[in-house]
Amino acid sequence: MKLLPLTLLLTLICAITHAQTKISGTVLSVKGTPVANANITLKNTYDGTSTDSTGRFEFSTTETGRYILQFSALNFETDSVQVDLNQKSIILDLKVKPSVNLLETVSISAGYFITGDGKKGAVLTALDIATTAGTNADVFAALQTLPGAQTSFSESGLFVRGGSAAETKTYFDGMLLKSPFNATVPDQASRGRLSAFLFKGTSFAAGGYSAQYGQALSSALMLESTDLPEKTTTGISALSVGVGVDQNIRFKNSALSIGGSYYNLSPTYGILKQQHTYVKAPEQFSGSIQYKHKTSATGMFKIYGTYGETKISLYQDNIDTPALPKFFSNNNNNIYINSTYKEYLGNHWKLDAGFSYDRSADEGLQSAAHYTRTDKLTNGKTTLTYYFGKLSNFKFGAETFNTGRTESLDDLARGYRDQVSAVFAETDLFLTSKLVLRLGTRGEYSSYLKKYNLAPRTSLGLKTGLRSQLSFAYGRFYQNPEDEYLVMKRLNFEIADHYILTYEINRPGQNFRIEGYYKAYTQLTKIQPDNLDNSGSGYARGVELFWKDKKTIKNGDYYISYSFLDTKRDFRDFPTLATPSFAAKHTASVAYKQFIEGIQTQVGATYTFASGRPYVNPNNPVYLSDRTKSFNSLSLTLSHLTHLFKQFTVLYLNANNVTGFNNVYGYAYSNDGLSRRAILPSSKRNLIVGMLMTIGDSTFVR
Amino acid sequence: MKQLTKSFILMLMFFSLNSFAQNSDGKFQTGVKKGLEILKSSRVSDDFLKVSNYFERIAQAEPKEWLPPYYAAYGELLAGLTISDKALQDQYFDKALLAIDQANNLSAENSEIFALKGYIQFMKMSIDPQARLSFMSAAAASLGKAKALDPDNPRIYLINGQNTFYTPEAFGGGKAKAKPILENAVTKFAIFKPSSTIAPTWGSDRAEELLAQCN
Repeated sequence: MKLLPLTLLLTLICAITHAQTKISGTVLSVKGTPVANANITLKNTYDGTSTDSTGRFEFSTTETGRYILQFSALNFETDSVQVDLNQKSIILDLKVKPSVNLLETVSISAGYFITGDGKKGAVLTALDIATTAGTNADVFAALQTLPGAQTSFSESGLFVRGGSAAETKTYFDGMLLKSPFNATVPDQASRGRLSAFLFKGTSFAAGGYSAQYGQALSSALMLESTDLPEKTTTGISALSVGVGVDQNIRFKNSALSIGGSYYNLSPTYGILKQQHTYVKAPEQFSGSIQYKHKTSATGMFKIYGTYGETKISLYQDNIDTPALPKFFSNNNNNIYINSTYKEYLGNHWKLDAGFSYDRSADEGLQSAAHYTRTDKLTNGKTTLTYYFGKLSNFKFGAETFNTGRTESLDDLARGYRDQVSAVFAETDLFLTSKLVLRLGTRGEYSSYLKKYNLAPRTSLGLKTGLRSQLSFAYGRFYQNPEDEYLVMKRLNFEIADHYILTYEINRPGQNFRIEGYYKAYTQLTKIQPDNLDNSGSGYARGVELFWKDKKTIKNGDYYISYSFLDTKRDFRDFPTLATPSFAAKHTASVAYKQFIEGIQTQVGATYTFASGRPYVNPNNPVYLSDRTKSFNSLSLTLSHLTHLFKQFTVLYLNANNVTGFNNVYGYAYSNDGLSRRAILPSSKRNLIVGMLMTIGDSTFVR
Repeated sequence: MKQLTKSFILMLMFFSLNSFAQNSDGKFQTGVKKGLEILKSSRVSDDFLKVSNYFERIAQAEPKEWLPPYYAAYGELLAGLTISDKALQDQYFDKALLAIDQANNLSAENSEIFALKGYIQFMKMSIDPQARLSFMSAAAASLGKAKALDPDNPRIYLINGQNTFYTPEAFGGGKAKAKPILENAVTKFAIFKPSSTIAPTWGSDRAEELLAQCN
């Protein structure tokens, strides 16, 4: 009995007087540089310390036995050693390996322009796209200020690197959009159908894109929709061209958005003189509904549906018989549904599935003839991604498009329907954090053409410094000929081969990029006397520069882009190899934005220059050898942030071509070639004023 | 002699029990208190990183306590606020967000955690406001949650007031708007009673300092 307290006493004394173990040493990187503020932890105890600025550390512990000593530091891999604390002192020389920093890792970037909030490699934010002066929040107009794209005010679409508008395809969450543009007026570009505010990110590929995307010969525009809105809000927009309302309702794990808009351009056309004589200025109704559901911590289901109707009628100058202007009318209705689901399966797999339906119907009069045209596309797609290593992945999937057109002119009717089925596989293989190789392939079968194709795609990225990267891409791209030719004949796939070399420097707040490319076209559709075939060909080569700086000017940023393009092709009705009318040799844009705090206003200015465009002059024996004068445009926007009725409001003004440059897109000649008419912008200048109000949020969320 | 031995044993037993108690409960309290002392004397970014490291060590030894990762996040946030290199700031704030999420996993529906999270998210946004507007609404959502959980938490009003103070007037901020929020914060700080000696109490001085700048 007496022994117990004695033992206890002894134990206590022992515990107090137990010789402490002193642990000291250094933490160095594998290159030998000292690592400051590394955390040294004796696992499962409170004991430990931090390294000083020379990487040294020292602490004592009263623990005994074997323990794990863990050491960690920012931007280094956490590591540990075992220590035996039954010694008086331990000296450790610890080495740490740099951790993989995603921002400093090489990426696939040849040909790509990525935009989006906080995304790796993003050069423009979603807001940048929406607020670029002169674009009126139209994604397609904004992208025309980036390298690779031509300025086109008289034709809808993106003309990329010598490609026609039909060679650029738009994808909404991975699903192909057949009719991305509003109803078209002759000789005028129309806006994209989908609001820029639907999307959080945009990848604009001027070439060399992934095997996941098919049926695009020159360029792919990938739009990524936003996720759940933070709050329930109501948005009201009142512009000089129309009004819109939308209601976002946020539930715990889901959100519902319902929106409607009405646009009528007749008030604007009453003030700004138009090129055509409108009987009915464009008038558009549209409505949309969107539901998003976060199915789990990592899963997301989205469905979006929209319906729109547009009506236009006008008289166009008749160059052959000036006394009889040509009548044109168009009634368009469009329905579009897009639904996607994504979920991670375990730690290594991701599933993406999607469905989309697009139907666009046009009907109207062309002079006295009645025409109808219906384009339809149904697209289903499934992709599985397997992640391995720290950064690498392997994806494979399949998709099918049911696409077609039916059209009629008075009593004549024709049409075609095609089922294009595709499989693809692709891997992004990170050989090191500085070297990535993408290998991919895509195979397609067209039931209408009764032909197969197999397209290899490859891309290489090499980090040449902390902030610089060199990239190369090669790919083969197939596309079905345009609907207007397919309704006439079963043809073959058109082909383009892209070779791209890029060098870029990405510093915080500053991006520089230079890209050179060569593109070879084969099997282009050619109109022969009384026949169509795939004997067309062509090439495009060029150099592009991009510089963005948001660091130098406080509250301001600007970017400059320049494209040099040398292209010739022999396609459609060309008698020979020639530079097409949609290719200007030099294109440059400067876009500048400045937020002025005192007056709470963002001012934006965009200047665009393009050298003269080729046009066909029947009096010149050399085909397409005449050039228009160069294109110049200076556009301004003002966004004034304020509160109306205590609700956050933006007052908005956008003025295109403020200095009134006389721009000419080309010329249309009379049948006898004796007189001609200039193809001009819809109006010399353009002005939109309005306000956007957000109810239910103290901050601007649109 | 026997009596003496008995009382000696009793005394020893008492001591040992006491020391045992200190080892489980007291050790944690003392540990956190020691960390808060270091925090008090910290001035520069490196000091705050060491505080964060200290609480990270307690966090790994006490995997069920939310205060260590909470204070680790707070230290990381202050380390970011006291350095001018934006790239480093961004990394510190990212670490702070990870730590605060760790705290949230240990103590769900905790007003203090959501308040601090709102603070960090706002600072994430401030690094590149134009590109990170989404953090603005995330910060507002976190602070809203914090308020719903405990409307008497004075730090919510300090952080809200501070965020408003530093938001340009055009985006719904400014001194005039911040003033009533900060006044409310000062009032709430005056009557605030922390739930324990180691629970968060910071912010009262900052609220008064900012309020003075509003006048």
